[in-house]
Amino acid sequence: MSLLRLKIKRFQKERHPQQWLETFDVKIQKGMNLLEALLRIQDEQDGTLSFRYSCRGAVCGSCAMKVNGVLVLACRTPVGPLLGETALIEPLPHFPVIRDLIVDFSSFFEHYRKIKPYLHEKPSSSDRETLMREEDRKEIDPYIQCILCGICFGACPSYGREAQFLGPAILAKAYRFLRDPRERREKEILKSVNGHRGVWGCNTVFECVRVCPKKVPPTHAIIKMRWKILRLKLRFFNLLSKGEEIM
Amino acid sequence: MELLSHDVLIIGGGLAGLRAALEAKKSGVDVAILSKVHPLRSHSVAAQGGVNAALHNVPAPIPDSWGNHAFDTIKGSDYLADQDAVEVMCREGIDRVVEMEHWGTLFSRTEDGRIAQRPFGGAGFPRTCYAADRTGHNLLHTLYEQIIGQNIPVYEEWYALSLVVHEERCLGILAYSMFKGQIIPIHAKVTILATGGYGRIYLRSTNAIINTGKGCSLAYRAGVPLQDMEFVQFHPTSLFGTNILITEGARGEGGYLKNAQGKRFMEDYAPHLMELGPRDIVARAIQTEIDEGRGFEGEYVLLDLTHLGREKIMNRLPGIRQIAMDFAGIDPISDPIPIQPAQHYSMGGISTNMDGETPMLGLFAAGECACVSVHGANRLGGNSLLETLVFGKRAGEKAASSRSSNIQNQKEVTKIFQQNLHQFQKDLEEIFMREIQEPSFKLREEMKTLMTYQVGIFRNASSLQFAKERIRDLKERFHRLGIKQKTLSFNHELVQYFELEGMLDISQVIIEGALARRESRGSHFRTDYPQRDDEHWLRHTLAYHTPQGPKLEYKPVAITSYPPKKREY
Repeated sequence: MSLLRLKIKRFQKERHPQQWLETFDVKIQKGMNLLEALLRIQDEQDGTLSFRYSCRGAVCGSCAMKVNGVLVLACRTPVGPLLGETALIEPLPHFPVIRDLIVDFSSFFEHYRKIKPYLHEKPSSSDRETLMREEDRKEIDPYIQCILCGICFGACPSYGREAQFLGPAILAKAYRFLRDPRERREKEILKSVNGHRGVWGCNTVFECVRVCPKKVPPTHAIIKMRWKILRLKLRFFNLLSKGEEIM
Repeated sequence: MELLSHDVLIIGGGLAGLRAALEAKKSGVDVAILSKVHPLRSHSVAAQGGVNAALHNVPAPIPDSWGNHAFDTIKGSDYLADQDAVEVMCREGIDRVVEMEHWGTLFSRTEDGRIAQRPFGGAGFPRTCYAADRTGHNLLHTLYEQIIGQNIPVYEEWYALSLVVHEERCLGILAYSMFKGQIIPIHAKVTILATGGYGRIYLRSTNAIINTGKGCSLAYRAGVPLQDMEFVQFHPTSLFGTNILITEGARGEGGYLKNAQGKRFMEDYAPHLMELGPRDIVARAIQTEIDEGRGFEGEYVLLDLTHLGREKIMNRLPGIRQIAMDFAGIDPISDPIPIQPAQHYSMGGISTNMDGETPMLGLFAAGECACVSVHGANRLGGNSLLETLVFGKRAGEKAASSRSSNIQNQKEVTKIFQQNLHQFQKDLEEIFMREIQEPSFKLREEMKTLMTYQVGIFRNASSLQFAKERIRDLKERFHRLGIKQKTLSFNHELVQYFELEGMLDISQVIIEGALARRESRGSHFRTDYPQRDDEHWLRHTLAYHTPQGPKLEYKPVAITSYPPKKREY
């Protein structure tokens, strides 16, 4: 059995000082992951250590955090590579900390609500499923994988600077509806993401694409939506100039 | 005292809870959801393989029908399911699945653009509709999106402590908001429990860490019977090591099970259906291979997908590939996956009728925590997601139309909640005052070990008798546990204390139900009574809470048009 040493950034509102770094040693077993190590600390050493968890299989999106400067899901992070030196565990950046590794996701879900993230279905008379072509499904599929874990927000320099920026996961979600052949809101969705708090606020540094644990490519969606907006604008101005010629 | 109030309060934000909420909201009543995690973190998100509905989208020699689906389900249940309920599920399931498609679920598609369907265990047709191997994720996100669209409020990260019951009627709950550090009463005309399974009473479970069966224990303690709890499903294929689920869809797509001799051993157990036998039979086969020394390291066998080819694995099973790579360092395209059976699902639960009503007025249940019963002694893969949608909807609809209690006087309601709160706080003080004699996690680990090794896939009188005595001992010791943190702000220890209390109750009900049932049926296999015994045991178990332990009663199974037959595959 080897020993894992974790230095955890703590925050508890009612304590003095509210913020401190605390080191824990955990006995580890073969195949253990970081979430299991944290649960073991909570059980055996400090019941007040706070963090979120649920599925332990990298599908629920609860346990995003920063480990040695890298944003990860704790359950998907084996402890093996962390042995040897002290590993620094911090909460997900760019979100207000509530307690220890628990951050406040309310602004994340406020942004989520802003794009009205539910299918506005085209009128359908069918009591069976709407037919969908495989190529349409494939276009949306990468964006469907998003588990809303917030890691892309923590890595996004634009969101770090400007909390009103809709953010990568939310823009990816907007694109997911935009490209759905069943969705009727094309212009409305483009309008809701058009602006410096939407697709134009992105620095296109692809940080979100790099860190996503589910391989969702938000920057790709953002660029595609920019093109769609520009194409609409071009069409509008072309029509306008044609109109002038006629007059 | 702050008293919150809703017409319908739903405990749990997984598929059943969200589906119930949407339906109740449709009737125009005031509905709210309370969940100990954000709804998107619920365990429904982890469901992989699919949801059954007789859509007949894939060509078969004869058309599939809901009747065929019902027959497969009833046979799969080893004839313990209530056949009227199964018929409702299979008939209404078709509309529920199509409805999810209209709400935006991105199902995989057939070549002609219809919802794709794959073969699943124990089914005579390719009937399982799927979204690659992330069906639960797709369904849960779709339903949560609808909840946002309907502006249904969610008490996120609130925990249900107890049911408030007055004159045998549920009036709501006492809730704990960890973030606020307060206990807050919530009054509701109807409370719907949709809290999922209890997998974490076992050491090896595919379930999320949060699955502690709280809803079952809340109902049980309030006097509502738990039904058929001895029927615990062990999934044949969980990843060796972490026990993360490897979907039945992997076998549906053509995967092989192989022992250490490289033999496809299912030919000895289910020669016709082979790897696609029902879960109880496949799990027992794997465990037998391991127990008789034909496994690897005495712990696992192999699930081989390598012959399926890269493209099929990438298209149909991308999530499984990711899980195998992330959690076992194995790429199933080139190497077989080490798997072992693990606790997966609870066929039993809070006894309800087809509208989600429990025997207690004002209290409903839906989803895995409920027992309608549509799964009987063994659930078929793809039927649990279906159950959440069909019976979640029915429960929400019925709850919205339920009459409110006879106590119309707000003052009287407030008084009842005040008394409940007062009593709870007194109990809490007693807990906080205790001297800590042992940490609670040790007790929890002992319980899990006991359940895994004595109340697992194979059971007998001596293992169950031993477990019965041990669980009584653990329950004794539970009352000597203490809690270090004496305040309510973010008190995880306190929540874990209450969860352990409930898990011990559930374990005890499972053990005593299993000890009493002297036959083998579906998932409940007694090595000392290896045959099914319809004469004595074609009946449901009902367990009632008493201070001395569970009191068992029985009730008949509803049989419509499928007389029990020998079950062969």
